[in-house]
Amino acid sequence: MFRSFALFLCLGFVLLTGCSKSGPDTGASPSGGTPAGKRLTIAFMPKSKGNGYFVSCKQGADQAAKDLGAELIFDGPVSPDPAKQNEIIENWITLGVDVIAVACENKDGISTALKRAKDKGIKVVTFDSDAEPAARDFFVNQATPEGIGNALMDEAARLCGGTGEFAIITASLTAQNMIEWQKYIEARRMAKHPGMKMVALRPCDDLKDKAQAEATTLLGAYPDLKLLMNICSPAVPGAAEAVKQAGKAGKVKVIGLGLPNENRRYLKDGTTDTVILWKTVDLGYLTVQAAAALAKGELKAGATSFKGGKLGEFRIVGDNILLGEPFKFTKENIDQFDF
Amino acid sequence: MLLRHETVLLAVLVVELVFFGVAGRNFGTADNIANIVRHSVEIGLLALVMMPVVLAGGIDLSVGSTLGLCAVLFGKLWRDGGLPWEVAAVATLGIGAAAGGTNALLITALRLPPLIVTLGTYSLFRGLAEAITRGTDAFTRFPPSFLFLGTGRVAGIPAQAWIFALVAAAMWLLVHRTTFGRSWRAIGFAPEGARYAGLPVGRRLAFAHVLAGIVAALAAITYTARFGTAKADAGTGYELAAITAVVLGGTSIFGGVGSVHGTLLGVAAIAVLGNGLSRVPATMSNAGELSGLLTGMLLVLALAGGAVPKWFAERRPR
Repeated sequence: MFRSFALFLCLGFVLLTGCSKSGPDTGASPSGGTPAGKRLTIAFMPKSKGNGYFVSCKQGADQAAKDLGAELIFDGPVSPDPAKQNEIIENWITLGVDVIAVACENKDGISTALKRAKDKGIKVVTFDSDAEPAARDFFVNQATPEGIGNALMDEAARLCGGTGEFAIITASLTAQNMIEWQKYIEARRMAKHPGMKMVALRPCDDLKDKAQAEATTLLGAYPDLKLLMNICSPAVPGAAEAVKQAGKAGKVKVIGLGLPNENRRYLKDGTTDTVILWKTVDLGYLTVQAAAALAKGELKAGATSFKGGKLGEFRIVGDNILLGEPFKFTKENIDQFDF
Repeated sequence: MLLRHETVLLAVLVVELVFFGVAGRNFGTADNIANIVRHSVEIGLLALVMMPVVLAGGIDLSVGSTLGLCAVLFGKLWRDGGLPWEVAAVATLGIGAAAGGTNALLITALRLPPLIVTLGTYSLFRGLAEAITRGTDAFTRFPPSFLFLGTGRVAGIPAQAWIFALVAAAMWLLVHRTTFGRSWRAIGFAPEGARYAGLPVGRRLAFAHVLAGIVAALAAITYTARFGTAKADAGTGYELAAITAVVLGGTSIFGGVGSVHGTLLGVAAIAVLGNGLSRVPATMSNAGELSGLLTGMLLVLALAGGAVPKWFAERRPR
């Protein structure tokens, strides 16, 4: 039995040392762009593979890869293992991809792996959620807090005819991104819609049930309420259900940031008026276009605009490529989207 | 009995290596082999100590959570406690021993089933890790001398591979060359028989669980050094990956049968499969799902392969 163990150890050792002789230069792609004629390999990683949001990003990514004639690898964690994104990136480094596009789950953890990729001459873009700025070349930013705040407030004012009471349901009172959005909602209200009055701000812990309960309470407490603005995605269908059950559909408007599929029912029956998000398919498309341009050396630091294939020009601020204004999903256009 | 389980598994591994060597892109490069080793050290360490527990007829579902708790406490001791990382690491091994000791106490002193006890501590340890960090705090910016453990190389081989080899050799000697190994095997084979034979069953089982805790803490350290971040979700799901490797490696889930080199082969077969699939153009974008599927098939085949000859033997006319 000892012999078989020794044999096994030897095998492992031969593998480790033997392979290191087979040429360390094959590990990574040559730095400084891709030789002409070689097909570009773009590696694209979502936070998690099964998530409908990212599946729709992939539709756009696939289209862009087809338009560019590039090879697209789509891989990401299947199980909830936070180190998995790093492992996949480390494998892509040795696979020899030209450029990596990633939506980061763990900002601190992934940045070390991305820096290693950059050291090997692989270009890096992030999308949806950023890494440390030093770990990537560009971030494809789907929406600025200002853009989101303005879109929500403008839509609320439009639906209420410029005057009336409204309430906000948020995920938690401490969530950094939501605090940021509220700041811009308030700034926009003061500047453009002084007739609107915010009467309450309630947290729902990112739970649909809790949002429904909060919305029911708000409907009772503020009889003159004209609109519920929901800035976390579970709250949009939660509030809609509350309004519907209270028999106030149409009298109290519902808007918010959410996913089309979760709100399809309420948009169609008229309980919810508008769901605001970005076009996730376009996000995937733009990300792959930017990644390819970066790898080919067409997109460089300091650029102020970028032509994203069939989607046209996009603005670049600093090292953020902006997807543009948020998109409004309504009863009329909801059937064109499935995610 | 020419076709021993380990021999078949070795053949499977060789087939994998040859296949991916031919069909995979940059599979056999030094950097990629180093990746495979690096990425399987934590699950490998957990499998190495899961093996004696299973050999003795038990199970430990809490090792992944122990890893998470130890990673968080290591970060806490280093960042908030101001300890040098070396001291924090030694203290973390002690915490791992305490976690394993908790399991051992509940299983041996209170005679509770290991499945239930470790299912409880599986939630308990993860819950503690989440409570300490409130789920969001992450420990990061560790010094380079510490990160070297997870990302550096010694004599051309990943630093943590040396730690792994040392633990593997120690475990092999312990299981195959000492009375501890023999008693685990005897307990797994027939617990009552072992008791009547005068073996200190409780102490032997307790030792296996404490060992599992200590090595889970060691895995927490190599994990943190590799990932560069310690968060409460570290090692989520690793207990099942470790059990899979142990069972694929030929250790009977009922206890009494198994080997350390089989476990190592199990770890290697799963790791090579996952890495290789992500390098074959046809499976590049489905590597995660496919490796799960194929590992499952391999496991079912391995178990069936062991059961079929027995089935025939029992039905052979006398």
